[in-house]
Amino acid sequence: MELGLYLHFPFCVSKCPYCDFNSYQLKEDNQISSYISAIYKEITAYSQKLKKSNIRTIYFGGGTPTILSGVQIYSILEFCKDKFTIDKNAEITIEANPGTLDGEKIKLLTESGINRLSLGAQSFNDLLLKKLGRIHNAQDIIDSYYLARENGFNNINIDIMFALPDQTTKDLQTTLEKAISLKPDHLSLYNLTIKPGTEYYKKYKRGKLKLPTEDEEFDMYNRAINFLKENNFEHYEIANFARPYKRSMHNLIYWQNKPYLGIGAGAYSFIKGYRYMNYENPARYIKEIMSGKLPVDNGEKLSLRKRMIETIILGLRTKDGISYKEFNKRFKVDINNTFYRQIKKLVNLGLLEKDDCKIKLTNKGIFLANTVFREFVD
Amino acid sequence: MLKDYHCNIENIRNFSIIAHIDHGKSTIADRLLEYTGTIPEREKREQILDDMDLEREKGITIKSKAVRLYYHSKNGKEYILNLIDTPGHVDFSYEVSRSLAACEGALLIVDASQGVQAQTIANINLALKNNLKIIPIINKIDLTTANPDRVIQELKNISEIKEEEIILASAKEGIGTSDILEAIVNKIPPPKGSSNLPFRALIFDSVYNSYKGTIVYVKVVDGVIKPGMVIQTMSNNLNYEVAEIGIFRPKMQPIKKLTAGEVGYIIAGFKNIKDTHVGDTIIDASNPSKESLPGYKKVTPLVFCSIYPIDNKEYENLKIALEKLKLNDSSIFSEAETSEALGFGFRCGFLGLLHMEIIQERLEREYDINLIATTPSVMYQVTKKNGEILKISNPASFPPKNEIEKIEEPYVKVNIITPSKCLGGIMELAQERRGSFKNMEYIDEKILRLDYYLPLNEIILDFYDKLKSISSGYASLDYELIGYQSSELVKVDILINHQLVDALSFILHKDKAYTRARKIVEKLKEIIPRQMYEVPLQATIESKIIARETIKALKKDVTAKCYGGDITRKRKLLEKQKAGKKRMKKVGKVEIPQEAFLGILKI
Repeated sequence: MELGLYLHFPFCVSKCPYCDFNSYQLKEDNQISSYISAIYKEITAYSQKLKKSNIRTIYFGGGTPTILSGVQIYSILEFCKDKFTIDKNAEITIEANPGTLDGEKIKLLTESGINRLSLGAQSFNDLLLKKLGRIHNAQDIIDSYYLARENGFNNINIDIMFALPDQTTKDLQTTLEKAISLKPDHLSLYNLTIKPGTEYYKKYKRGKLKLPTEDEEFDMYNRAINFLKENNFEHYEIANFARPYKRSMHNLIYWQNKPYLGIGAGAYSFIKGYRYMNYENPARYIKEIMSGKLPVDNGEKLSLRKRMIETIILGLRTKDGISYKEFNKRFKVDINNTFYRQIKKLVNLGLLEKDDCKIKLTNKGIFLANTVFREFVD
Repeated sequence: MLKDYHCNIENIRNFSIIAHIDHGKSTIADRLLEYTGTIPEREKREQILDDMDLEREKGITIKSKAVRLYYHSKNGKEYILNLIDTPGHVDFSYEVSRSLAACEGALLIVDASQGVQAQTIANINLALKNNLKIIPIINKIDLTTANPDRVIQELKNISEIKEEEIILASAKEGIGTSDILEAIVNKIPPPKGSSNLPFRALIFDSVYNSYKGTIVYVKVVDGVIKPGMVIQTMSNNLNYEVAEIGIFRPKMQPIKKLTAGEVGYIIAGFKNIKDTHVGDTIIDASNPSKESLPGYKKVTPLVFCSIYPIDNKEYENLKIALEKLKLNDSSIFSEAETSEALGFGFRCGFLGLLHMEIIQERLEREYDINLIATTPSVMYQVTKKNGEILKISNPASFPPKNEIEKIEEPYVKVNIITPSKCLGGIMELAQERRGSFKNMEYIDEKILRLDYYLPLNEIILDFYDKLKSISSGYASLDYELIGYQSSELVKVDILINHQLVDALSFILHKDKAYTRARKIVEKLKEIIPRQMYEVPLQATIESKIIARETIKALKKDVTAKCYGGDITRKRKLLEKQKAGKKRMKKVGKVEIPQEAFLGILKI
């Protein structure tokens, strides 16, 4: 079995006001070392069962994985190599916050075998960065970027956010131009969503957040797509753009609804049709694993129907869409039969296009993807 | 406690408590019940007589109740006191008037800091109309803001009430309770009837019980009633055999007979609550009294709206729920109706806005049915050119303009009590609502009373809220129907995506049509989510467009981030959104949320 491996690090220097990820402000350094011990135990627990699986991608996500020291990251990866079978061409990515990198750390990252870096830049506008609660400014991004290049990273992603409070289409354009001038291999473009439980949500509810209108958001997204395409980026997933051969292999596993193992607090796994999730709270996660149990909070065996639907709504996010052949091979049914009504309706609405071998979102469909997905869910 | 309760009619006192809302009616009742030992210590709670959840929550009485108290007076005699608790709100004034007709006296409660309010005056007039002895009580004298001297002056200014008759009380602190009981015994006259005359009783309320059927609340005026007797309701000459009679303590307690002057209940196999009208007279079928008791009249609903289930499958449930509610409340009017936009539902009539709100809330809460209610309307009288006269409450049923000779609308006489400093604002409001000024008089130097004639249509929506906001909550309002007057009314239709949504049509004065139509299409634009297509919204009078807006087509509906773990969560979110869309009403291709129908009520 081929497998993706995700490792979650739920700590940050500070919690950004818009963020609803499973992450916490780091209070004491020893939180990290006990968390790493727990991760080791969890990896060990899976190592026997999954020894035969071929791990094609590894992803250090967070939080801020680079809040760890270079040595810690290096050791974790060595531990993984020891416990799992890792493909020699594996894509190994680490997310990094521009404020948490230095030359020495980056050197250790490359030496450990990490070959892809994802920089959480978010914007190149210092004022907006400040409002977002980021700990870095635009210059820090540029410095981190060149540091990574100089130290041998030849696959770098830059994360950019849009539809920020008080942001204009022009702001976004300037940010994208600056990002492109660095010649990254990959660019992720996310629009800000206001999630319950965040500081932004509270502000929003009090009417203190001036967000762009739907029309402005459309405009930003539309212009960004065109701009990035003009600059030879392939728009291969709703929010992701890549230079040739630089798609994110790890994320493609998700979008193709293929198996992966998630390690760490709040991490999800999808193995043999089971989708399950670890305890989100790091202390709880550590406690469970230390008492010899798997730290699984909840999960479900997905029915065939649900797996089909999830495969469709993930697959349609990508430019490749869903191949009839692949779908048939996996589920032993013809997608054009099982979802005849939905596909017909969406094609008529101009949201979906079909050819001889696949269905995919139209340009209009990309902007209205949720409308399309809602059609497929039960 | 009395062993033989059938004491002489001379020792019976029947009374009500009347008060403006929040002046402490229920608390006074609680104290009387406690003082006379009617409620055992362990069953004490607030608002004892209000047992409906809504009553306790809103702090109001919706249904009339009766309770019998036994009181040992300072004069050494034992008395039966029947307290008949009545709804306090103007919507229920007919029920109140029937309850009062069963009494010989009334406790008039006035808040010591708020003083005389609109309903205080309405209550005094109602009590006088029913020849009741009024016992004035100034309540809440313990409040730091209490000003009993001022209130005494106000009472003297508005009525014949004598200062020495006024009792100062604090129901909260238990002050004045025994004075009140003594006044009931000494000031209120005993009932006038005689046990030797043929049986006559007044129905002052009725309730439905699923085991016992309809239970009527009565005051026996003359004669005696016993189980086994055959009785007749005078308005429809229907006969029934009495199965059970009893009194309220406050729970129902069966007894062997009820005699002249007593208050209690009768169970007699009444099939339908519709057959037992509040205000009707019950007589002995074998020895019928010829004379009916005064006061019976058919109640007419004033406020109408259409009620539809959001989910058409719930129509049957709604039908059953409405029938059940009607069992306990014969003043609800309902008839089946079909709307092109909303499907199957009911046109309903209510005594007033509060009554309407209460019924809608009970349908949603007690019967768990999600409803769409249309904008409340009144009953119009339309005279067609061919001479035909129609009574129409539903704008959708209005004939075309060219067939109409004239339209008349109901007018009410509104009585407002307000601090004099708010006079300007209130006059402006009344003016804006097409009111005509009738009278103004000062109750004291700071408080005055205003009389206006207003179209009912203008006050059913938010007049009360506006009045309260202008006066920082101090002004109060009471109204009564005075008749119909012809007006220049027009029907405004709303078209969504060029399709008429009959349920959104409304009637109003032609001078206001444009502004209101403008506001409604703006509001709809805000509430109706963007659809796949551009959706025009139009307001029209006789197909002439008077306002329009456009809901732009949905442009962006996409979640940027979606990775491994999120997908099941995301799928569930999409499922939930899809279910939400199913709850919307589809008009043509357009999905309209329930809020659209509710939202425009608030304009």
